[in-house]
Amino acid sequence: MSRTRPEFEPITAGRSGALAIRAVGKTHHIDGQPLEVLRDVSLDIGPGEFVSIVGASGCGKSTLLRLIVGLDNDYQGEIRLDDRRILSTSLDRGIVFQDHRLFPWMTVEENVAVALDRRPLGREAKKKLVAESLALVNLSGFEGAYPHQLSGGMAQRAAIARALINEPKVLLLDEPFGALDALTRLKLQTELQALRRRNQGTMLMVTHDVEEALYLADRVVIMQGGPGRIARIVPVPFPHPRDRGSAAFARLKDEILAELMREPELGSAQVTILSQDRRR
Amino acid sequence: MLKVLRSLRSIALSWSGIATLLLAWWLNTRLGLFPPQVLAPPERVAAAFVAGVRSGDLARNLVASLSVLAAGYVIGATLGVAFGVAMARSRTIESYTSGLFHAIRQVPTIAFIPMLVLMFGIEATFKIVVVGKASFYPAALAAYTAVQGLPRRYFDVADVYRLSPLARLRHVILPASLPPVLTGLRLSLSRAWVALVAAELLVADRGIGQMMELGRQTFRLDVVLMGVVLIGAIGFLLDRGFKRVERLLVRGAPA
Repeated sequence: MSRTRPEFEPITAGRSGALAIRAVGKTHHIDGQPLEVLRDVSLDIGPGEFVSIVGASGCGKSTLLRLIVGLDNDYQGEIRLDDRRILSTSLDRGIVFQDHRLFPWMTVEENVAVALDRRPLGREAKKKLVAESLALVNLSGFEGAYPHQLSGGMAQRAAIARALINEPKVLLLDEPFGALDALTRLKLQTELQALRRRNQGTMLMVTHDVEEALYLADRVVIMQGGPGRIARIVPVPFPHPRDRGSAAFARLKDEILAELMREPELGSAQVTILSQDRRR
Repeated sequence: MLKVLRSLRSIALSWSGIATLLLAWWLNTRLGLFPPQVLAPPERVAAAFVAGVRSGDLARNLVASLSVLAAGYVIGATLGVAFGVAMARSRTIESYTSGLFHAIRQVPTIAFIPMLVLMFGIEATFKIVVVGKASFYPAALAAYTAVQGLPRRYFDVADVYRLSPLARLRHVILPASLPPVLTGLRLSLSRAWVALVAAELLVADRGIGQMMELGRQTFRLDVVLMGVVLIGAIGFLLDRGFKRVERLLVRGAPA
């Protein structure tokens, strides 16, 4: 599965992908009632780094990703990518949602090609990029399939292909494997790790699977809810490929879980509101 | 094999209702519960049908009705979809028009007939207006609710990949709203057919409803009943045909 470089310049060429999140706060207003979901979140992510955010449901981690991708710019503080303030969405940031969000009326190929709408490329060049992107996630041969004909894992692979086709400087992953069965999840984690070796971009993944975070990330950020804030940042010192069964791995996992368990129970209001947020 | 049996069974079941009705009708005329001048027996209705086909009367009236249906439907449904989309996309248009829109919707199409006759006479133009009005509302409502109810998550994807307004319309808004709009258009068509027949029964110079009205005046209840059967059959076929078209147009699976 070798990937030839496209002959044209990738739009993100020559830029690095350093993410600076400074004192970010976010308050939702539900029926006129303010609800603080993020408070004073600051985090620096280096170019090419893989950071994973773990935390209980409702700690605001998905909201943070929405802010970084640029779908919501109504927040306090600032988020910069390579020193440029993020004000809206951009092709230099890609995102994979928990639900694949492929368009049901398009084939896999068309769904991936949608991401190229704004790229000034010819039909042939686009076709080639789509084919390369699908090969990257092992979906060659499924170009003509509709999303409802795919398994959950395959649909999520197509969503990853769509997110990566523009070679974003930062790839955001919002619980990308959360809805998959355990075996598929393990497979996709391994594939993502392989992808990362090939792709030089920065990655930020939200998950509530501590083991997944430890398997993939260079650093694990532990978030606490009510309002969401960073509790601790844990560097993961193990070289890749990581051994999930090793004693050191298990120890670190227990430590992070213990930290997460220490968190007080969330109020039910917040949980409801955040699950509404996710449904949008 | 099992599949064939099952589909045979469902065909038999769907015809059994019609067969029962036919039997009850035939028995009724044999037992003389109603005089044959009032409830014409099936064989007389069939004879009226054959006579109508032979004389060319039936074909003439059918062509008159169906061409009016086609013209009025195309105009009414197109305007309806356009209006529904505009109302869903623009708050200004919605606030200016929705009051009027929903008020007129409450008035049955037939209530406009006396006025429309004075304005347009009793020929094709009048009937096209009636059909157009009847098709407008279901189409407009379906387009409005379809576009209003587009899931936010589709627009998230469109935002993330910065789709141009045109691409947004072509790749997201249109295909996502197509299935409910098509359902509305199907409803529109059957409403239009019903309104047309009703208008023709009241006032018309030709058409299948007018043929029935003439039958009533000359006490040819066999002709009236033949009209009833035809109206049902045509309405049914239009609906079925539209469903076929729907299945061809909607790609992938519903969201």
